[in-house]
Amino acid sequence: MDAPLIEVRSLKMYFPVGNNILGRRRQLKAVDDVSFDLYPGETFGLVGESGCGKTTVGRSLVRLYHPTGGQILYRGVDIAPLDEKAVMPYRRRMQMIFQDPYASLNPRMTVSSIIAEPMRLQGVAQDAIAARVAELVEQVGLKKDHMNRYPHEFSGGQRQRIGIARALAMHPEFVVCDEPISALDVSIQAQVINMLEELQDSMGMTYLFVSHDLSMVRHISHRVGVMYLGHLVELATVRELYSNMQHPYTQALMSAVPIADPDLAARSQRIVLQGDVPQPIDPPPGCPFASRCRYVKPVCREVLPEMREVAPGHLLACHL
Amino acid sequence: MNLLEVKNLNTSFHIGVGTVQAVRGISFHVEQGESLGIVGESGSGKSVSMLSVMGLLPNYADIVADSIRFDGRELTKLSGKALRAMHGSEIGMIFQDPMTSLNPLFTVESQLTEPLRIHRHMDKRQARQRALELLRQVDIPNPEARLKQYPHELSGGLRQRVMIAIAIACGPKMIIADEPTTALDVTIQAQILELLQHLKQETQTSIIMITHDLGVIASMCSRILVMYGGTICEQGNARDIFYDPRHPYTWGLLNSIPKVQDAPAGKLIPIKGTPPDMLKPPAGCPFSPRCRYCMPVCRAYMPPTTELSDVHRVACHLMHPHAPKITREV
Repeated sequence: MDAPLIEVRSLKMYFPVGNNILGRRRQLKAVDDVSFDLYPGETFGLVGESGCGKTTVGRSLVRLYHPTGGQILYRGVDIAPLDEKAVMPYRRRMQMIFQDPYASLNPRMTVSSIIAEPMRLQGVAQDAIAARVAELVEQVGLKKDHMNRYPHEFSGGQRQRIGIARALAMHPEFVVCDEPISALDVSIQAQVINMLEELQDSMGMTYLFVSHDLSMVRHISHRVGVMYLGHLVELATVRELYSNMQHPYTQALMSAVPIADPDLAARSQRIVLQGDVPQPIDPPPGCPFASRCRYVKPVCREVLPEMREVAPGHLLACHL
Repeated sequence: MNLLEVKNLNTSFHIGVGTVQAVRGISFHVEQGESLGIVGESGSGKSVSMLSVMGLLPNYADIVADSIRFDGRELTKLSGKALRAMHGSEIGMIFQDPMTSLNPLFTVESQLTEPLRIHRHMDKRQARQRALELLRQVDIPNPEARLKQYPHELSGGLRQRVMIAIAIACGPKMIIADEPTTALDVTIQAQILELLQHLKQETQTSIIMITHDLGVIASMCSRILVMYGGTICEQGNARDIFYDPRHPYTWGLLNSIPKVQDAPAGKLIPIKGTPPDMLKPPAGCPFSPRCRYCMPVCRAYMPPTTELSDVHRVACHLMHPHAPKITREV
């Protein structure tokens, strides 16, 4: 296998959330000690429920956040501690596609100036920009006469295409897709997913695909990581994970996905978890899933399970 | 027996730039104790058709129907006051986002006891007693404490349980659930779906489930309407729709989602183009501009409904005996 494009080592992202009664700062541990590798040309799916920290991981990797701790090795260089200026050269290689195509496009800018903006910021020459914008517009399936229109004139699917064109402008190596289809209708979702796959085939980009849509993650990803309450609890290739999932949370999560097939749905056994996801503010020691786990043992409440390899390439953090 | 029977319902909205024809001549029924699913994309008219039945649309909506019969009564002839007496007592509603449909200024207790006091004329103590029972029925732990809380103090899953408790408070004959789990995480969605199924078995209430999620429909509903462009393009039992679909739009929907046993290699087959603009819907079949099997007749005339069985009906010109024989691509 090739050398990893990005190695994430013990990534931590804490947010301060006011003081407790003793006047000490309280911390929301959105991402706590997460490690994984991303290989060139692969799609890595990151799944979990809202508040599990999957979006924060994505945003930290492209350095929209300044991580609290840990390393992000981009081709061997640690970009986690770099300041804004030093990180600038890396920004052109890493891009992000956002969830909400209604909020992520400036309503006062035309489509062509939205797509041109990253190139302007990186100091690309004016005539080169114009040519590249025309090329991108075509690549994402928009028409030439769309270029001088404003975002409000487009549907959700078309807006997401504009966001994708903007992300591709600087020929990135790595793109974080943060829930890129969750705001779109079913028939449009498939259009966007197919386009992302075709772009990857032709340009060899690496994707971090953050989503709560487990069936779409299964469809598009090569490897998948499952997050719960700021921790990565299981990681494996798609085939391995969906056939041999071991973490009780992964099992519950997968069984909760409604199956679009009436006979299979009637036969399948749903594992219904009790209660809600706890708050990641000052979490108790031990396994983050201990409070909802069916198989919980005393050790789970005291010691945080380490990631260990249960099969080649299959990592699991569980005491069982 | 049919609990609800709707004939030729048309709903349009008069707005500045023209008239949006949101629902165009749909007819359907709901049987006693059945769960009917309505699938469609945003703007297909699925929510508006149910709000029209309930009479819950704003004044600028124009609702015309040959007949809307609920439990033997003709709703089109009822006064606003009589309709309101039915809301929350005989028909319960559950909306998508419990944060916006619960009132943030009132406690769970006051919102949950309101329908009981209005429709069932209970006094404060009786209503409180019944509210506690209801919270237990929807599996909310520690109900006494929850009664005193405000919506913002509850998680999304708990809020949706409170919504369901309000909807079933007066023992309705029918519950309309409009995307009840769309705002929730999958594990919480599983809890809520389980609860709805359980309540239905217990009380024999009919449920109309509006959703865009084919997975939710498959696990919850016995009969399905597929809506597109304000019309019903196909309807049938769940097995008809999932295993023997006949309308190209239904094919497109099913091909747009990853297969259950999908290897990563499988390709999705999207539907080209975008849904119609209901300000100026196409003259013929609303799906014709996106349909890969579109014939000249499709652009000119609305297709008639073909009955394949008692329940399985399709509105497509391909069903005509002289039309080319086309089968679904998989």
